[in-house]
Amino acid sequence: MQKAFLVDGSLCLGCNTCAMACKNQYHQDKGILWRKVREIGAEEYHNDNNNILPTLVSYQKAPKAQMPMERFYFSLACNHCENPACVAVCPVGAHTKDPETGICKHDQTICIGCGGCVKACPFGASKFNEKMNQAEKCSMCWERQADGKTTACVQSCPVGAIAIIDLHDPKYKEYANAAPIGIDYAINAETKPSTRFIHPTMPKEVYRLPKG
Amino acid sequence: MSYSKENVESIVNNGISRRSFLKGLAASGVLSSFPGGILQANEDLNTKIPYLGEKSYQTFRNACPRNCYDTCSIKTYVKDGVMQFIEGAQESTYTRGGCCVKGNSYVKRVYSARRLKYPMMQVGGKGSGNWKRISWDNAIDIIAKKLLEMKKEDGTLLGAALTKYSGNFGITHYGIEGMFNSIGYTTRLAGTPCWPAGIDAQNLDMGDMWCNDPEEMKDSKFIILWGVNPAANSIHSMKYIYEAKKKGAKVVVIDPVFTEAASKASQYIQIKAGTDGLLALGMAKIIIEAGLHDQKWLDANSKGYKEYKAYLDKEIKLENVSKITGIPLAMIKELALSFAKAKPATIWMGYGMQRHTNGGSMIRAIDAFVAVSGNIGKYAGGARYGHLSTWGFNYAALSMPKPEGSVGYTGPEGAKGDVAQGKDAKSNYTDRFLNINKTARELLNAKEPKVRLLWVACKNVFAQDFDRNQLIRAFQQLDLVVVADQFFNETAKWADIVLPVATQFEEYDVNVSYWHYWLTLNEQAIKPLFEVKSDLEIAAMLSKRMNQLQSGSCTFPQSVDTKAMMAKEFNPGIYEQFGIKSWEELKNGPVKAKAVIPYADGKFKTPSGKFEFYSDKALELFGSALPAYLEVRKPYDKFRMTSPHSRWSLHSQFQNLEWMEDVHPEPYVYINPDDAEAKMVKEGDTVAVFNKQGLLRLKAKLTDNVQAGTLLMYEQWYNNNIYNVNELVDDTSSDMGAFKTGAPGVALHDTFVNFRKL
Repeated sequence: MQKAFLVDGSLCLGCNTCAMACKNQYHQDKGILWRKVREIGAEEYHNDNNNILPTLVSYQKAPKAQMPMERFYFSLACNHCENPACVAVCPVGAHTKDPETGICKHDQTICIGCGGCVKACPFGASKFNEKMNQAEKCSMCWERQADGKTTACVQSCPVGAIAIIDLHDPKYKEYANAAPIGIDYAINAETKPSTRFIHPTMPKEVYRLPKG
Repeated sequence: MSYSKENVESIVNNGISRRSFLKGLAASGVLSSFPGGILQANEDLNTKIPYLGEKSYQTFRNACPRNCYDTCSIKTYVKDGVMQFIEGAQESTYTRGGCCVKGNSYVKRVYSARRLKYPMMQVGGKGSGNWKRISWDNAIDIIAKKLLEMKKEDGTLLGAALTKYSGNFGITHYGIEGMFNSIGYTTRLAGTPCWPAGIDAQNLDMGDMWCNDPEEMKDSKFIILWGVNPAANSIHSMKYIYEAKKKGAKVVVIDPVFTEAASKASQYIQIKAGTDGLLALGMAKIIIEAGLHDQKWLDANSKGYKEYKAYLDKEIKLENVSKITGIPLAMIKELALSFAKAKPATIWMGYGMQRHTNGGSMIRAIDAFVAVSGNIGKYAGGARYGHLSTWGFNYAALSMPKPEGSVGYTGPEGAKGDVAQGKDAKSNYTDRFLNINKTARELLNAKEPKVRLLWVACKNVFAQDFDRNQLIRAFQQLDLVVVADQFFNETAKWADIVLPVATQFEEYDVNVSYWHYWLTLNEQAIKPLFEVKSDLEIAAMLSKRMNQLQSGSCTFPQSVDTKAMMAKEFNPGIYEQFGIKSWEELKNGPVKAKAVIPYADGKFKTPSGKFEFYSDKALELFGSALPAYLEVRKPYDKFRMTSPHSRWSLHSQFQNLEWMEDVHPEPYVYINPDDAEAKMVKEGDTVAVFNKQGLLRLKAKLTDNVQAGTLLMYEQWYNNNIYNVNELVDDTSSDMGAFKTGAPGVALHDTFVNFRKL
């Protein structure tokens, strides 16, 4: 099993409810977002202060289709990679990959705050909390899932734009290897990120007033 | 590791040490008496509070009481007396388990170090910034003595004014008006800056403002989102619109701005601002000429259709409609005809559209188009604007008698606001009503007696009202300004006394929506922090002190329990409408009103009992019986400025919170690239936007989401930014509003500005 976020950009309103629902659940400090709603076409990835090394991939090159400003989005948190760099680099085993679900979990009680994962993650999913001197990240609400609930982000999304799927389930095989159109998300990165996307499109008919 | 309960428990136990600090405080009861600094620590120490399992929490029912379509039903999770997190109530099919970005910031709002914690007095004079902490007794004593002194000197309390609007729409919060009712005849800032022109329009046409259940939209075959942007401002409605679209319905957005909702529609049609009414008249003419109007319904249910049709025949030229709206005639025809052919079809009209000098006339024109198409009184149809049909509470907290011998205003009967105020039929006096949309000049101009005391509640006057320069003058000439709020905003900075108010998690209340049909109980989930008090408790304290000083001077109860006050709001009508026997049932979750299709029985509360294309009342009050085309305000500067509502804030609330700053840190002005090029402005440049009213400096974003000739800035209040878009808005009125809300609305979107690069 590889649990994964399926993000539907055609439904996403960019409302940021998911990102705030995550803060509501875990009380991330000011300046830290485990889940971030990223605008398609906006080059913002490299502004992430937590990620000090050059990144391997960028989430957002301007897509091939022209997208208007502040209208189309993807909601992204930890990608729960199949070969997670955070697990490989962590010297104390604070990062683990659950063999049953494939969720990449971080345990702050073990974390020594070396920052290795923050540097190693190509997607900037691990954040460094300077007040606590520890790393932190999305662990796909595994405690909530164990309690029979879904994740805070999935539950709060008003339009069902985030779902949790099993990439290994034949039911979702259309997503298994498909890179989304027009977004430079490195599905082929060595870490094998699990997040999958449904790409948004503009309305069929758009009329704008003529110039002048 | 697997996900056994044991493993969850072990994580829980490991987590305890990090949380022990806060937990210890809460257990010892110290938390609520600490000053704010310690709660800043809460934020630091609480990173990654683990989820402990449903059974580890106490849960409470809450409601989001803000001025919002969605009025979410909330479930609050509390551990050791501390709010841990909230969820949307699963019982409500509308909220469906999730709040919005704003609602999800409530934990931070309650525990924010920025909250007002205790009463304060500005000892150096208004705006001096020289504040002193005072006790509640001291604060209330000063206010009570001032009121009694004014009454003695003026012989009336008309010198005491209340301005309160939509900061908290909980039913018991009408107890603030109740507090003013209970001291005598006073002055009220009446009307609403929000939606009055449209309220009047719907009342003229249909005798009520009443809309179909938004959840029905899933079965609509054609939806026009006309000047409304639910993708930002009513996100819980979007799932129904998506469902309709998935089932094959066409969703068309008509808006001057390519909005978030437009980006998710089947079709977007850009229109010149202020010409929507003309488009609706043209569309009606098209479907009548095509024989697609519902003659049978019109014959049975309408008044004045003949006059209306004659007007369309004579005055509405389709070429002119196309020219003035900017939309090709073929597109208008296609839109009108496909709407008329789809059954049921519905139009949702936004509140922005009626914030024009011709706003009411535009809502009337769209109502008329929907009526002609035969979609009024139909399931999943309707001309949707809003409703108050679930608001039939007792308003017990509001309905306080005047003290014996009170003297008041003897002018013509005044206004009521959007929910009726208590009224004493036997008295010769009334309160004095001033126009809330002209607060500054009305406060300055009020005479005999002049206004000397202003009480501000559920409202951030300096963020939401207009004509800032006059507003400062108006505040400065007042003897005593009392601001009851949760945060230290700019209105508080111009106050004499600031009173810290409870959040909804610290008191009982009951909430309904002006859009959906759910009823939600709001329970007290935590003890009030610091020295905060509910608005009702403040009123009771004032009553107690006034009666000590002068027996019988205030009729408000001298001690209140918000739970008991909430319970008093219920009546058999509410129980019947919602199918419950007692409010206690609401502890199990929100309930929905029994389904009714508005006007399905063909009964309208207009004078004729029918849908009125021709309204005598409209002729009497506004000079036009028909929903005739009215030209919008002429530009007085180079660019139109539009200031819609942001998804990050509800008017002046939420954007100031630390968490919200993480997802949306600063304001921008959105400029069409053509306009920007002409002014040599590039993306990210700081520009000055200015007009006769004022000047704002902010960063530019270039986008053709806004049409050339228009600048867009969102209406928001930031904690650490002086930006306030209302500083550019003058107080010019919209056409309607005086009929049902006591004062005309304000033509916010007829503001004009210029800009230059800095």
